[in-house]
Amino acid sequence: MSSIGTGYDLSVSTYSPDGRLFQVEYANKAVEAAGVAIGLKCTDGVILATERLLHSKLLVKGANRRIQSVDDHIGMATAGLLADGKHLGSRAREEAGSFRENYNDPITVQILADRLSGYTQAYTCYGSVRPFGISTLVAGVDKTGPRLFCIEPSGVHYGYRATAAGKGKALAKTELEKLLGAREGGIGVKEGVDEVARIIHLVHDDNKDKDFELEMTWVCEASGWKHAAVPQELLVEAERKARAALEEGMEED
Amino acid sequence: MFRNSYDSDNTTFSPQGKLHQVEYALEAVKQGSAAIGLRSKTHAILLTLKRSTGELATYQKKLIRIDDHVGIAIAGLTSDARVLSNFMRQQAMSSRMLYGRPIPVARIMQGIADKAQNNTQQYGRRPYGVGFLVIGEDETGPHLFEFSPSGTSFEYYAHSIGARSQSAKTYLETNFESFEDADLPTLINHGLTALHDTLQQDKHLSNLNTSIAIIGPPAPAAEGEDNVSSSGAAKRGSFRTWENAEIEGLLRAWRRSRGEPEEGPQEAEEAERLKRDQETHAGAGGVGVPAAAGGEAEGEGAASGASAGAAGGAPAPAAGSEDVNME
Amino acid sequence: MNHHPGAWGQPLPAHAQFDMFNPGQSYRQAPKAAPITHTQQPLVTGTSVLGIKYEGGVMLAADNLASYGSLARFRDIQRLHPLGKQTVIAASGDMSDFQWLKKELDSILREENGLSLTDSHPSLSPQHIYDFLANLFYARRSKMNPLWNAMLVGGWDNKKNESFLGFVDLLGTTYSAPTLATGYGAHIATPLLREAYEDKAGIDGKGPLLTAEEAEKVLADCMKVLFYRDARSINKYQTATVTSEGVKISDSKSVETEWGFAESLRGYGAQNQ
Repeated sequence: MSSIGTGYDLSVSTYSPDGRLFQVEYANKAVEAAGVAIGLKCTDGVILATERLLHSKLLVKGANRRIQSVDDHIGMATAGLLADGKHLGSRAREEAGSFRENYNDPITVQILADRLSGYTQAYTCYGSVRPFGISTLVAGVDKTGPRLFCIEPSGVHYGYRATAAGKGKALAKTELEKLLGAREGGIGVKEGVDEVARIIHLVHDDNKDKDFELEMTWVCEASGWKHAAVPQELLVEAERKARAALEEGMEED
Repeated sequence: MFRNSYDSDNTTFSPQGKLHQVEYALEAVKQGSAAIGLRSKTHAILLTLKRSTGELATYQKKLIRIDDHVGIAIAGLTSDARVLSNFMRQQAMSSRMLYGRPIPVARIMQGIADKAQNNTQQYGRRPYGVGFLVIGEDETGPHLFEFSPSGTSFEYYAHSIGARSQSAKTYLETNFESFEDADLPTLINHGLTALHDTLQQDKHLSNLNTSIAIIGPPAPAAEGEDNVSSSGAAKRGSFRTWENAEIEGLLRAWRRSRGEPEEGPQEAEEAERLKRDQETHAGAGGVGVPAAAGGEAEGEGAASGASAGAAGGAPAPAAGSEDVNME
Repeated sequence: MNHHPGAWGQPLPAHAQFDMFNPGQSYRQAPKAAPITHTQQPLVTGTSVLGIKYEGGVMLAADNLASYGSLARFRDIQRLHPLGKQTVIAASGDMSDFQWLKKELDSILREENGLSLTDSHPSLSPQHIYDFLANLFYARRSKMNPLWNAMLVGGWDNKKNESFLGFVDLLGTTYSAPTLATGYGAHIATPLLREAYEDKAGIDGKGPLLTAEEAEKVLADCMKVLFYRDARSINKYQTATVTSEGVKISDSKSVETEWGFAESLRGYGAQNQ
C-alpha cells in the first residue's frame, strides 16, 4: 500500500496529498476482519443477523451477543471492534432516550441513523481521537415502516433494502441482490429468516474461519413490533435448512 | 525506538486495522501471574498464583471482593486493577442503593468494558494494563467473565489469564464439559490442576502462593468446617477467599485426588534445602549465588525487582533448580 | 431574562438524584436572580387507590378522575400504569408528578429491556421498582421538593413466585400489607378490605386467599363506598391484576348505586330551604 511510511496515514486529522484520510481507510480494515453482519428489510419487518465467531471453545454458548437493542422498536448490529460497537450502542440508546424525553415520541430509524452518523463522523475530525473501527447496521420499524441503514467508519450512512458488513460482505451482498432481484414485491420476514441464515452459512468458510454461532433478531408483527431475538425454534429450523441447502449446492458443483 | 510507526499511540490504526497499543496492553496482562476461573451450575471459583518480591515481602494479593455476589482475580498492573475494582464497587453499591438489587454480573462487566474502551479511543490516555477474571452470581445463576484492556468482556465456562496461562487453558479445554455438573470439591481440584500447569518446572502449589475464591453454597466438608463456620460470607454462599493456612485442606484434598503425598513436596524440599545450605557453608561460598529465580523474568506490574534482578545477576547454577523465593 | 433554551430549568432525571459519587457536581444551577421555589401543594389530583392480594396475584383499583381542586376536571384519566410484565403502579395525588414519574420509570425499564436482549438478565422485579420509588420519594422530600403522590406498587415476583404489594408516599414512608389503600381510602376502605381478607385468610393470613372474583367484588364494594363518601371520586374506575401470566388492566367500569335515601337530605334533591 502506497500509504505506508509516508507519514500521511498516522492521524485522522491529516489528509494525504491526493486527498485521502488513510486512518479512516485503516478503520475499515478492522471492519473487514470481523464476522459478517447482515440486515434485511422485509415487506412486514426487518431482520438483523451476525455470524458470531468464537475465538475459544470455552465461551459460554449463546452468550456474548453482538446485536444490541437501541429502543423498543430499533436494533443494531455492528461489525468490527467489539468494544467500539458497545460504545456506539450506548450512544444510540442515549440518543433514542433523549429523543423520547424531548418529543414524547419514539425516535425514527432515519433520525437515529443520522445522529449516529454525525457522532461517528466527529471521530474522523480530530487528531485526539481515532475513528470507530465498526460498520453499524441500524434496523427498525417506525411510523414510516421498516427501515434499514448502515453507518460506516467515515460517518456516511445509506438506507438499504438489504446490506452486509464485515468479512465476506461482498459475497453476502451479491446473494442479497440475487434474493431481492428475484422477488419483485420484496420478501416476508418468515422467509427472510431462512434466507439470511442461509447466506451467513454460505459466507462462513468452515475450513478457514473459526466456529461461529448465528445470532438473529427482528422487528415484526410476531415480535409485537419490538426488537427481539428470533425465537430459538425458528432459528434452529432456519439453520437446518441452511445447512441442507449448502450441501445441495455443493453436490451440484 | 518503536517497532513500527503505528504503535506509538492508541489513536492510530495500523494499515491492517489493528490497534498496536491495545495489543501491547494485552501483553501487560501476560506479565502478571496466572489466574484461573471455572464455573459449574451452582458455583463459580477463582484460583490465583501469588508472587512475592522476596523472602521479606508478603505475597501480592490477587483476589478482590467487589460485593457479596461479585469478586475478581487480577493479572497485570495492580494499580490499574485498583482503579477499576474501585469503580466496580461503586457500581455495585449504586445498584444496591437505588434498586436494592445486587448488580447483574453482565452489567458490571459492561461498565468496566465501556470504561476501558474509552481509553483506546482518545489521545493522551493508555489502555488499562490489567485483565480480570470475574465471578459472580445473580438472578441468572453463577457466571465467569473475562475483562480485557481492549474493552471487551466475554463469558466463559472456564478461563485462564496471566503468565503461562496457555498451559492451564489446554487443561481446561479438554475438561470443561464436565464442569457444568461438577460439585465444588471436584471443581476446585480441576482448578488447582490447571493452576499447577502454569507453574515453572519443579515449583509447587503451596499455602503461600495459592489462593482460591468461591461463590456459591458452602461445602464445609471441602472448604473446612472451621473456615466456613467462622466466615459469614461462606455461610451465606457469598464471595469468599481462602488462602494461607485456610487453604491447606483444599490443597491436601487435591494432592490426595492425584495420588500424591498429602503433605506435598515441601518437606522433601525443606530437607534438600537444609542439606544444600550446609554444603554451601562448608564449601565457603564457592559459587556465590546459591540459587536464582527459574530464569523467566515475570513481574507483577513494576514490582519485578526480585526475580528479574536475580536472573540478571548471574545465571543460575544448574543444580539450583528451585526458587528460594517460592517455598 | 436569559431566553436561551439551555438556560431553562430541567427536571432531574430520576437516577441522577442519588448520584452520591459526584457530590460536588450539581446537575442544575439555580437561577441567580430568583429564589428557589418548590411545589407547595398538588394541583390536579387523583383520589384514593386500593390494592389487595388474592390467590395467585394482586389487584389494584383506581377511579378515572383527576380533580382540579373540588372541580371534577378530567374524567377519563388512567391512574394505573403497567411497568414491564410483572408490575403495576397506581397513583393518587398530583397527576403531573405521576405523569413525570411514568416517563422516568418507562425509560428505566426500556433501558433494562434493551440490555436484557444482550445479556439475558431479567428486568427489574416489583421489589426493585418499589425500592427505587421509595428512594426517589425520600430523596425528593429531603430536598423539600416532594413528588406529591401516594403510590401503590403491585406485582408478581417470578423468582419467588409470590405476589407483591407496597405503599410509598411523598414523605418516603413505606409499608407493605396484604391489603392497602391511599388517601381517603386508607380510612374508609382499609377496614373493609381487611375484613374481607381476614374472613378467609384469618388474622394471621395463613388461611386461603380470596379468589380473583372475590377480590374484584371486594374492590367494587370499596369503590362504591368511596364513591358515596368521597367527594373527589367518580363512579368510573379500572382494576389492574398482576399474576404470573402478566399484567391486565381492565376497561372502565362502574358500580350500582342507590341515592334514594338522599332525597331527604338538606342540600340534595328538590328542597327549597
